[in-house]
Amino acid sequence: MPRFDDYTGEHLIPPYRILDLTDRRAAFCGRLLADYGADVVKVEPPGGDPSRRLGPFPDDTPDAERSLDFMFYNTNKRSITLELESAEGRALFRRLVADADVVIESYNRHYLNALGIGYDDLRAQNPGLIVASVTPFGGSGEWADYQGDDLVVMAASGYMQITGEPDEPPVRQGNEHSHYPAAQYAAVGILAALYYRDFAGGGVGQHIDVSSQEALITYYTDAHPALLWRKLGQNVTRVGTNSTLVIPLGAYPCKDGWIAAGVITPREWDTLAEWIHEVTGNDEALNEAYRGGNQDRAEHIDIITALFLEFAENFTVQELFHEGQRRNLVFLPVNEVADLLADPQLAESGFWYDIDHQDAAVGALQYPLGIFHSEEVSARSRPAPTLGVDNTAVYGGELGLSADEMSRLRSNGVI
Amino acid sequence: MTTDATNTPSALPGIRVVEFGPYVALPLTGRILGSLGAEVIKVETNKVLDEMAFIPAWSRGAGQPEYQRAKRRVTLDVRTEAGRDLMLELVRISDVFMTNFRRNVLDRWGIDFPAIRRQRPDAIIMWQTGLGGHGPYYTYKSFGILVQHLSGVSLMTGLPDDPPGVVNTSYSDYHTGVFQPAGIIAALMRRRLTGKTASLESSIFKSGVATGGPALLDYQVNGRGPQRRGNRDPWAAPHGVYACAGHDRYIAIAVADDAQWQRFRQAMGNPAWAASPEFETRLGRRRNEDALNSAIADWTKDQDSNLLMSLLQSNGVPAGIVAQGEDLHDSKHLQSRSFYQETRYWEAQRGVKATEWAEGESVSWSIPARMSETPISFGKYRNIGDDNLYVFGELLGMPRGEIEQLEAAGVIY
Repeated sequence: MPRFDDYTGEHLIPPYRILDLTDRRAAFCGRLLADYGADVVKVEPPGGDPSRRLGPFPDDTPDAERSLDFMFYNTNKRSITLELESAEGRALFRRLVADADVVIESYNRHYLNALGIGYDDLRAQNPGLIVASVTPFGGSGEWADYQGDDLVVMAASGYMQITGEPDEPPVRQGNEHSHYPAAQYAAVGILAALYYRDFAGGGVGQHIDVSSQEALITYYTDAHPALLWRKLGQNVTRVGTNSTLVIPLGAYPCKDGWIAAGVITPREWDTLAEWIHEVTGNDEALNEAYRGGNQDRAEHIDIITALFLEFAENFTVQELFHEGQRRNLVFLPVNEVADLLADPQLAESGFWYDIDHQDAAVGALQYPLGIFHSEEVSARSRPAPTLGVDNTAVYGGELGLSADEMSRLRSNGVI
Repeated sequence: MTTDATNTPSALPGIRVVEFGPYVALPLTGRILGSLGAEVIKVETNKVLDEMAFIPAWSRGAGQPEYQRAKRRVTLDVRTEAGRDLMLELVRISDVFMTNFRRNVLDRWGIDFPAIRRQRPDAIIMWQTGLGGHGPYYTYKSFGILVQHLSGVSLMTGLPDDPPGVVNTSYSDYHTGVFQPAGIIAALMRRRLTGKTASLESSIFKSGVATGGPALLDYQVNGRGPQRRGNRDPWAAPHGVYACAGHDRYIAIAVADDAQWQRFRQAMGNPAWAASPEFETRLGRRRNEDALNSAIADWTKDQDSNLLMSLLQSNGVPAGIVAQGEDLHDSKHLQSRSFYQETRYWEAQRGVKATEWAEGESVSWSIPARMSETPISFGKYRNIGDDNLYVFGELLGMPRGEIEQLEAAGVIY
């Protein structure tokens, strides 16, 4: 069992040392582990992670220390700089690996091997090391060398095929959704590998291969296109914001925004029909032909949608949300970021963590770190690191390099 | 059983989990833990079947064989006194209790969290909620596909004049289902190191918002609402989908920088239009993106999307077909990684005991992480109640006669 002298369980994950070599497509993995307690050290090239140069920036003024993109994906990590493409840099990396528990990387599968610091090289040096590789298409198979960003992965996983309106081209989810599933699965794999090594008598590390394409395929199993093809010879496609089978199901305009509504059971329909009648006085809402399950309303979709819109325009989003729920209907607001930050439920459940950036241009920001609410453990709340801020602590403090050596490495472009 | 070779070590041996609740996220968490080697005991009853078994695609074999495999399945009506007692007995021999029932329901059944802790003081509790276990929305109802509206993602998707953009799936159920095993494994390590246990509360709502991305910060710093860019990227072009030959066929092309642009031009056979100086730089291509996109669309429109993907990728240009069911099902790439595997399933039928359901053949995905020392197993798919004898007999030591009595009394049912 490992010894963590200062670990008292304030955070869920013990302070395992994790070297994070990922780019933004997989950075969420290390973030999740860091938020919950792991000691994640981001290893950046001396010029900094490329995402530091991506916006948005405060006031749209580019500044490598103020990329909101970098800040979002790298909370609670530390940062060191290291040029892996120099021999001296690799020598330092090997010294870091000797005391590390985990390396997370997202390079093309040949890159680290070609540098002599691939999984087999590192394992020979540290048999307990766990290496997780997160790549667009995984580390084997005929697409293993194919490249892809969020758009390409969303396309090739088929996720886009069912996103957007039926008469328009496929569209990606605007939160760069493909960055999360593979990173989450990698985090699960890393924790399981640590458990095996340290608590289940395994004693050794291992390699974890995660494909972003596969991970995203598992995130829309309701549609299961491969199975529909196999069973029925059909391809799934986009159905748009509103269902054509369940009515209402989707998002509908109201006074000051959109309300999301889903009415499925006969009882829910009766409740809604009476409410519509109450508000609009339109007797059509009570038409017996519309009562029953979804299939009983499918052929009347146009008139029912019209009835619902006539009803909804009398209310604000919040009025419909709370009164609908009071009547036991699934009514939910279609939220913007502003709504989420003000949402009383998220506030109540300890979801937002306040992080002070100690920088007037950025200020204190709310981060969505409280995935698990608990009386016993909390997430950490440190901002993403500035570039190389931990060089002295890691190279000087841990590896024992002298100030002279460090300044020589710095002028040689190694750190 | 080929993928469950008994000599292969697993990552979580000796860990026992009680899974109690329906739908997507919680069963997915159980399946992941089971595939990692934990012994997951799913408690359910024929009397109240999981609605997910009746969604049309699922009754054809989607979902249930994925979420309910790699676990032991017992039937127990916890609304009976004997059923509740047996549930608490299962908790006593388990490390983890996870549920997605509401607080008042658990209270009514007598399997509330204090009762769990009395039974097993060091039990790790994962309580999965919809909108939150306490607080103003505690009693509110929600379901999967609508949570993408609630969590802010639909107003980031599509174009400014479009209605909120939606993917036709149970959105953040999946995030929740994969966050939870991470929390549980970490809590097990923490318990071993400190002797302390933990109760963790997750929610489908929170899991969705957690993946909102840098837009969450952009609003706070710049006061900017969600940017709806369709498929475009703020920094690079071309970045979009282009129609190809055939019905509903598209290819996604994402050129990140000028070097990739030069390779893209070459792959297209250096057409005259692409030599235009306005397309030379990343900034120029962004500024002239409409013209750029229509020229590319002209080039792709009569081509086969799969061949185009090979051509572009072999030239070092990130590109991917917008995959349809047939592409995924027949993918040599996915086959070589054994991503989809054959499985049986049972077609759910209301009012009929699960053991009487018709059996069929299907395909299911395997967990999308490959571990070299402790391979994640595909896991066996058992039917509801298949493990009553193993769990009540072997694990709890109940004589067979007593089990049969409880079956006849509708407690084990």
